[in-house]
Amino acid sequence: MHLDYDGGNILRETVRWSRFLAIVGIIALCIYLLLFLLAGAVIASLFSKFAPGLEQLEGLAGGILIAILLVFFGVFGVLVYMLYRFSSRTRKAIEQQDQAAFADGMKCLKVYFIILGIFGVLTLLGNLLSLITVF
Amino acid sequence: MENQHTPQDQGSLDNFFNISFDTATRAQIRQAAVWAKLYAICAFVGYGIALVVAFFGRLSDVNYEGGEGFQMSASFRSGRILGALLVAAIGVFINYFLYRFATSTIRGIDAMDNITTNDGLNHLRRYFRILGILLIIALSLLVLFFVFGLLAGLNRLG
Repeated sequence: MHLDYDGGNILRETVRWSRFLAIVGIIALCIYLLLFLLAGAVIASLFSKFAPGLEQLEGLAGGILIAILLVFFGVFGVLVYMLYRFSSRTRKAIEQQDQAAFADGMKCLKVYFIILGIFGVLTLLGNLLSLITVF
Repeated sequence: MENQHTPQDQGSLDNFFNISFDTATRAQIRQAAVWAKLYAICAFVGYGIALVVAFFGRLSDVNYEGGEGFQMSASFRSGRILGALLVAAIGVFINYFLYRFATSTIRGIDAMDNITTNDGLNHLRRYFRILGILLIIALSLLVLFFVFGLLAGLNRLG
């Protein structure tokens, strides 16, 4: 089973769009990180207002917020990195007829969808929880 | 003699890249498609739940007892339903392509069928293209709001 010209052209356009999405994702991640570094104290005080019980525990609210943001930035960072790597490796594979790069690109696509799948399952569990609490 | 290619065969072989879907690559693509299918199904169910919550959920934080409170809760409910319908429509539209990518690619890889696999990859292309176009629209709106906000702020100062 080989990659034919139709498949190659389809993949070429796929990686063009996925590259665009990955680059915008990386820029958005950098902006969020910068915002958090510049206005971290303000965000932490806002978080304390939303969770007033945590004010009594000194520094805990800030710690929880930092932990949540680190997990978010980490997961989102890996997601966009995998998308970018999928596009760059697959493009290289098509342009240079490189089998190893093609396999690597498909591996990155797999990791991207694994992360997305886990995120989807967790979101669904959250939705089910909201369904229980709403009724 | 059996191993020699006719001109017609040679032509069709020229249509191939020197890239093959070997066992390892096929396994990677298949797993990607399986996880994509899981994500798409989770998304469909999630949108369904969001619609159920929007239509039948209680409005615990809005006053129901007569007068303005009732009007506010009614408009809040219709706004929530409209929002949920819009999000669900866009989400189902996007994830439909992801689902089609998953089903066609799994079928194509299992049957070693290039046409079905290409059909699956074509749906992945459409999925990323729609996401890209929506992102461009969202970014344009963001820039537009920013410019209008800036102009409004300058007018207030001036």
